[in-house]
Amino acid sequence: MKAKPHTEGKEYISFGTYGSEIDWNNPDRILPLNYDQAQGKRIFYQQCVWCHADTTPAGPSNRSNVTPDPPLMNDGAVLNAVSDDSLRKIIALGGSAVGKSAMMPPYGRSLSQDEIDAVVAYIRVISVSADKNPPAKTN
Amino acid sequence: MSAKQVRRGNSWLPYALIAGNALLLALVFWQATTDWQALRRYSQGPVRFASLQPGTLAWRQPVLPAEYAEGSCGACHHEDMPQTPRLNHGRQLIVKFNCIGCHRLQDSERPAMLGPDLTNVGTKVSREWIYKWLKEPRTLTDANGTVTVAGVSTDPRMPKFRLSEIELRALSAYLSAQHAKPVAPYRFSPHVVTVAAKGGDPADQGQIRFNQMFCVTCHALAVDRGGETTIIGGDIGPELTKVGSKVKPEWLVAWLRNPEGYLEHTRMPQYQWSDQDLYEVTQFILKKLTDPDLLKDVPQMESPSEDEIQLGQRLFVEKGCAECHAIRGVQPRSNFAPDLSALGMAAGPYLVQVKLPRKESNALHFVPSNVKQLDISVSKIPKFMISYIQAKVTDPTSVTPQAHMPQFHLSQPDLEDLTMALLSMSGPPIAGTAQNSLIIERPHKEFHPEGQVGQLYQRYKCYVCHTFKGYGGTLAPDLSYEGSRSRREWLAQFLRNPQTLRPTLTVRMPHFNMSEEDATTIANYLSATLQKPNLDPAAVNEKEFTDQMAAQGKQLFETKYACQSCHTIGSSGGYVGPSLNNAGNWLTPAWIEAWLRNPQDLIPGTIEPRQSIGEDEIKEITAYLLTLKQTPAEPNAAVAATAGGGSRHWLHVWVYLSLPVRTSRPGPAGAGPGIIAFL
Repeated sequence: MKAKPHTEGKEYISFGTYGSEIDWNNPDRILPLNYDQAQGKRIFYQQCVWCHADTTPAGPSNRSNVTPDPPLMNDGAVLNAVSDDSLRKIIALGGSAVGKSAMMPPYGRSLSQDEIDAVVAYIRVISVSADKNPPAKTN
Repeated sequence: MSAKQVRRGNSWLPYALIAGNALLLALVFWQATTDWQALRRYSQGPVRFASLQPGTLAWRQPVLPAEYAEGSCGACHHEDMPQTPRLNHGRQLIVKFNCIGCHRLQDSERPAMLGPDLTNVGTKVSREWIYKWLKEPRTLTDANGTVTVAGVSTDPRMPKFRLSEIELRALSAYLSAQHAKPVAPYRFSPHVVTVAAKGGDPADQGQIRFNQMFCVTCHALAVDRGGETTIIGGDIGPELTKVGSKVKPEWLVAWLRNPEGYLEHTRMPQYQWSDQDLYEVTQFILKKLTDPDLLKDVPQMESPSEDEIQLGQRLFVEKGCAECHAIRGVQPRSNFAPDLSALGMAAGPYLVQVKLPRKESNALHFVPSNVKQLDISVSKIPKFMISYIQAKVTDPTSVTPQAHMPQFHLSQPDLEDLTMALLSMSGPPIAGTAQNSLIIERPHKEFHPEGQVGQLYQRYKCYVCHTFKGYGGTLAPDLSYEGSRSRREWLAQFLRNPQTLRPTLTVRMPHFNMSEEDATTIANYLSATLQKPNLDPAAVNEKEFTDQMAAQGKQLFETKYACQSCHTIGSSGGYVGPSLNNAGNWLTPAWIEAWLRNPQDLIPGTIEPRQSIGEDEIKEITAYLLTLKQTPAEPNAAVAATAGGGSRHWLHVWVYLSLPVRTSRPGPAGAGPGIIAFL
């Protein structure tokens, strides 16, 4: 028998997000991320950003050194046509396994299935096509 | 009165006796088994249950709001986790801003030096400069009062104290009188001066030397880039843009010759200067890194009077200066500021499930949060712990006008990360419980080699940037297994001339002007001692590799595995990984093979993905990489090439990755220093 502290009979739901990302197509918009997406963002900025973005945390991008050009992760027109399963397969098995460029290495042995899923979840957040999300009007 | 009468008339009495006794017994039992401490803690005051969010009561909800969720992870995980980049960054900020100087904090020990030792500060700077610095501890300011780069304000670690004119005069008098150990002036021979003058302005020569030695690896400079002020350089040492107007010339020469002579625990390495270089670099610092307007609003001050010095000494202790800065003979006060080692508890009690003997299996564990020591109860702002912490850090007078705490300048993301790290403070581990095993100890074990190598290790401060077996800085590659990775001859040569072999990567290693003997001693030590266990250097025989294998390997490298997307060979390829132009001279065959099998086994967290490369293919790729050799360039040629600005963007790359920077887009949530080591 332990003294149970008196509690109120009302539940509170915590609010907020696990992180946020600035919309690559529209810098005025901030996209909230749920837990998986936030983890995906972390992995993306460790592993993928070097070739799949025009600017990287380090400044210059490695994208220009790779042929053919890797798709930008905010290029919704390209990425929204690819299913989640295909994305997972390309990440896990690499470009050569799906008939694309071998320049995309396989990550199946260095990232876990959960981590790959998280990256896909994050890609879906930032790969909004530009027309759905027009840039802010400037005066 | 007969017995029958008693029974009939007072029949309630025995029942009452029984009931009373039972009640008494129940009370005793309840008292014996009740956790009175817990009850008391729960019913104490409004502050204990300071809400996390406006309008909610935190104690019904022992989790932090989602944006601070990483703080909850930190309640039990005291080690850095990859999943909590913001928490890790917040903990780095706690160290950076020396919170431990005044507050007790979980998992933090007082380092040997927090702020600089001021025992001899009178030999270094003038009274006017001290006055200016204490009034506004910022040297770089723009129209808005502060220079920010990529959202990070460039303020130094020293916070701003709100000091009156009298206090400023007293403290500057006291500090400028600190010159117990006078600086012996170093006289350059006239020959050095005339030779330097022949080659043009010595200050210009010094600037070239300053760049070649990569002082900016640790020291930042503000530069003008297309009308916009940006900061280039690291933050291990102080920012130097206006240092020429700060330090006394004779002190600067003495410092550069032997930093430990002035500061015992300095992180500045001792360079092996020639008189020529020393003269030119000091000329550059004293003539070019200056600002004539720096001290223009400082009033004229006479030599300090005895009264001012006395008052200054008292203020030095009272204001808490002594908590971060040592002065010989001055004792800091203990428990200067509230104990924050369980601050997270004050933001809502964590329910810690502790495995105890069966009787007490559902124990709630309460940690005293010391919240009473905080002035949250008198604050004018809403009493929510998160907003309280943030107000307290950025402007303590907004909480209580008479606050002692100085004012820190942080960007909003930094402030949030710091708050998160403070909210993770859950008190010391509970003795004798299972919680001890939840907490993974940080690797505190210091690494110091013995003997001659130990002296060199101290002189060049290798551990400031490199990690050795879990000890040291994270700016540069982990050298725990360097003996397995690099060949001894390569190491010796690299130490003498760090730029030659991997220009894109190594712009950041300073040029120590190391003697051949020193370089050989260190290289011998690295290859003999810092070996990866289970990696047999003799397992791979270089002689077995044939030209045909190498040709096959080239094919695999370029076509099947497309390694050139990240690695440069010749002049083409990517720069995510290191250039492999000199792989044959640099890497050992055993390391290359082990790396191709499983990179993460050798360097955990490296971004090269592990692939399924067949054993034959591994041999062939290794054979190919070993054919890649470069004759080392002449030291001067290499220096000229890097100084010419060819690697400037790489310097920038390095700066970016090494600082805990957050850009506006794309925003790396603490793309921490971990990455650079493997780039």
